Amino acid sequence: MTEEEKLVMGPKPGVNYPLEVIYCGNCSMPLEYCEYYPEYEKCKAWLEKNLPSEFEKLKVNDTTSEGAGDEEKKRQKRGGKGIMKTKKKEEGPKQVCISRAPRGKKKSVTVVTGLSSFGIDLKVAAKFFGQKFACGSSVTGDDEIVIQGDVKDDLFDIIPEKWPEIDDDLIEDLGDQKR
Amino acid sequence: MFKKFDEKESISGILQLKSSVQKGIRNKLIEQYPHLEGYIDNILPKKDAIRIVKCHDHVEIVVNSTGNLLFFRQREGPWMPTLKLLHKYPFFLPMEQVDKGAIKFVLSGANIMCPGLTSPGARMTEAPKGAIVAIMAEGKQHALAIGLTSLSTEEIAKVNKGVGIENVHYLNDGLWQMKPVK
Repeated sequence: MTEEEKLVMGPKPGVNYPLEVIYCGNCSMPLEYCEYYPEYEKCKAWLEKNLPSEFEKLKVNDTTSEGAGDEEKKRQKRGGKGIMKTKKKEEGPKQVCISRAPRGKKKSVTVVTGLSSFGIDLKVAAKFFGQKFACGSSVTGDDEIVIQGDVKDDLFDIIPEKWPEIDDDLIEDLGDQKR
Repeated sequence: MFKKFDEKESISGILQLKSSVQKGIRNKLIEQYPHLEGYIDNILPKKDAIRIVKCHDHVEIVVNSTGNLLFFRQREGPWMPTLKLLHKYPFFLPMEQVDKGAIKFVLSGANIMCPGLTSPGARMTEAPKGAIVAIMAEGKQHALAIGLTSLSTEEIAKVNKGVGIENVHYLNDGLWQMKPVK
């Protein structure tokens, strides 16, 4: 495709829409824009890990465009540095905490916190717990699910099973909570 | 527009649209983007329940039943596609190509200046003043921003100074970061 044709409007013959665009898992932009991200190294690492075939292509391009380095120097520099800010991700400790809180004299509820740091939809998770344990389960706070009944022991098996990204070691038992 | 946009703070409500209003939006979109006609059923199926997410600054975002963000607008302005949608159907907006040096500035939200559109690496397709355009980049395949021309392309070539296209939505801004709405 020549440069001229690239900008013509209208669907291109022989192309099936919608197009699938691959986005980087680190910076969330299309792969070709990763190089403009401050954490390009991390993007590369992600690419190597998740899409080795694309990474190979990138390497090939790097070696063929060796001459581009000079061009880079000649390019006019405009004002400002124009450095993008990295989106701050919550780099807090990724951990799920489970504790038991009393409810009345002889009943208790289970409090699960920290699920959202794994990118899990809390509403879906609460529903899942409710169905699994046949009990009430609700989202009670920013990152908190309360399951009615003491199901702490079962949770240690079920959470890694349902969400494989959560390892057994990442689940912490906080024991009994006082209300 | 979405530089300071935050998913948690900026949303004030989600509305289910009446089917008559949905039809109105569909017609408006086709009228605005004639190239979309054969594909509108893929983007906004007739039976689909579309919703509108109301945000601060009078921004409204059209969302389909799966929660994907499709179009947005400010006040009663024209509907503009989100970049995610534009990447899938890149043909329905006039495209303006900026040179390599401009990419990093555009990616941090800067408006597109005329010299970045007239230099050797750049290319323009004709567009009037106030048109919605996709910003492409030299040597790149996908759009990196969506803009509103503040000068017609003819004037851009003539004046060659100052802001030529206003940056409305770019990669990694608040709207791009926003997750599908449940």
